[in-house]
Amino acid sequence: MDIIILGQQLMGYIPLGDIVLYLAPVNLFMFASALAFTTLIAISRTETQVEAGVGTLKDQEVKVDKDEFKIRRFLAIVCGLATAGAMITGDLFNFTLFVCLIGIVNIGIVAAVKQIDVLDAAFQYGLVAMIAILPLFGGAAMILASTGTISLLEIAHIPTTFMMIFGSLLLFLGVAGETGVAPFYATKAEMFRTPGSPFLLIIHLSSLLVIIRVIEILLIINKPF
Amino acid sequence: MSASVLVPTVVSPIVVSLYVPAIFTGLIVGLIGLMAIAYQKDDLNALILTDIVGMGMLILVAAVGTDLAEALILPGLVVELAEILAISEILMSREMRKKGETAELIPLPTSMDMEVMTTAPTFLAIILIVYGAFLSGFTGGAVAGGGILFYIISRRMRGVPSDTWEGIAGVSGIAWCLWLVGFLVFFVFPQYWLLALFLAAFGVFIKVAFKAGLIGVIGREEFNKK
Repeated sequence: MDIIILGQQLMGYIPLGDIVLYLAPVNLFMFASALAFTTLIAISRTETQVEAGVGTLKDQEVKVDKDEFKIRRFLAIVCGLATAGAMITGDLFNFTLFVCLIGIVNIGIVAAVKQIDVLDAAFQYGLVAMIAILPLFGGAAMILASTGTISLLEIAHIPTTFMMIFGSLLLFLGVAGETGVAPFYATKAEMFRTPGSPFLLIIHLSSLLVIIRVIEILLIINKPF
Repeated sequence: MSASVLVPTVVSPIVVSLYVPAIFTGLIVGLIGLMAIAYQKDDLNALILTDIVGMGMLILVAAVGTDLAEALILPGLVVELAEILAISEILMSREMRKKGETAELIPLPTSMDMEVMTTAPTFLAIILIVYGAFLSGFTGGAVAGGGILFYIISRRMRGVPSDTWEGIAGVSGIAWCLWLVGFLVFFVFPQYWLLALFLAAFGVFIKVAFKAGLIGVIGREEFNKK
């Protein structure tokens, strides 16, 4: 057990047949924070937005009714668990599947809202997420083809080739599209405008954590140091 | 390319040389889909065109051509279908909000009074379920589910209240747990592979059968609303 990834000593791994989860300090920290946030979300209640009427006293409360609250809480918990899973998985393809699950659940969290603008934004985000499947899975498949394995612990020992760099570029494009970071952020920001705040925050947190994790994976694959 | 290092000697060179063309095919298919989406103004057409991009993804994964790639195509396909379902659901609810109308989940034709629905439902359903039990696994589940679905539809046509199907949903969930437990046993205790195999095979049989039967439950709920 003297594998060192990115200068950190592995604290151990959980071999479940082919699926090997590995525990390193950074991953464990992100895993724990994702789980803690999910717990907070599971026990919290939604905020109530107030839409102010300009020039009048007709302020309007925007509340989340109970059915919508339940389904949103469920989807937010699924999103948190998927994020936590993506943090400690030692398998490239499982990582892509977790990222896809996060994308689908993000759409689902805002699916039941009543504002047309938000639904419109969610639709555009969904199209981008759908298109991003191509580079995401394609990149993972290219890395699989050029290394013969999808286990990150094995890939860490294989010298980098051109196809691996190309594949990891595609992988990064895919994650960027799926989590809605920089170039695709505009649609995702619209999605935050719905009522029901604590559940919406998991959309934000999941993309932040996944981006950190994908950078770690790209460093493992490409070994620049 | 560099991939040739890892290819076993039994694989013929033609197959190996197909890898790079297949990658380019996948990327070109994806680009064609993207160009089509860029030109498209209609939202529904854009959604349908994203499926082409998904096909490109499947080509890229399939290009690897190993057993592992075969195992990875299935989750890829499932993810693609799930995303397209989620997005179409968003599109539908947006259009419904815009127009202020609601639509049924599964629009069934109201008049399905065919002869076969009243004369032979039980017999045909039993035959299908027994045959499905012999097949077991996913195929058997689909066959038996067809039988259950047929039975429910024909019962509904005769006006008999079918309240018992709610329990079926619960059994389906339990069977799914059996299936998952079977897979877990495969990973954790590989020496009990026979038990795991049977758990997985019959779990997925019951689950798929009742899942197809659930369509009948949903249809009945829609029927009762009227």
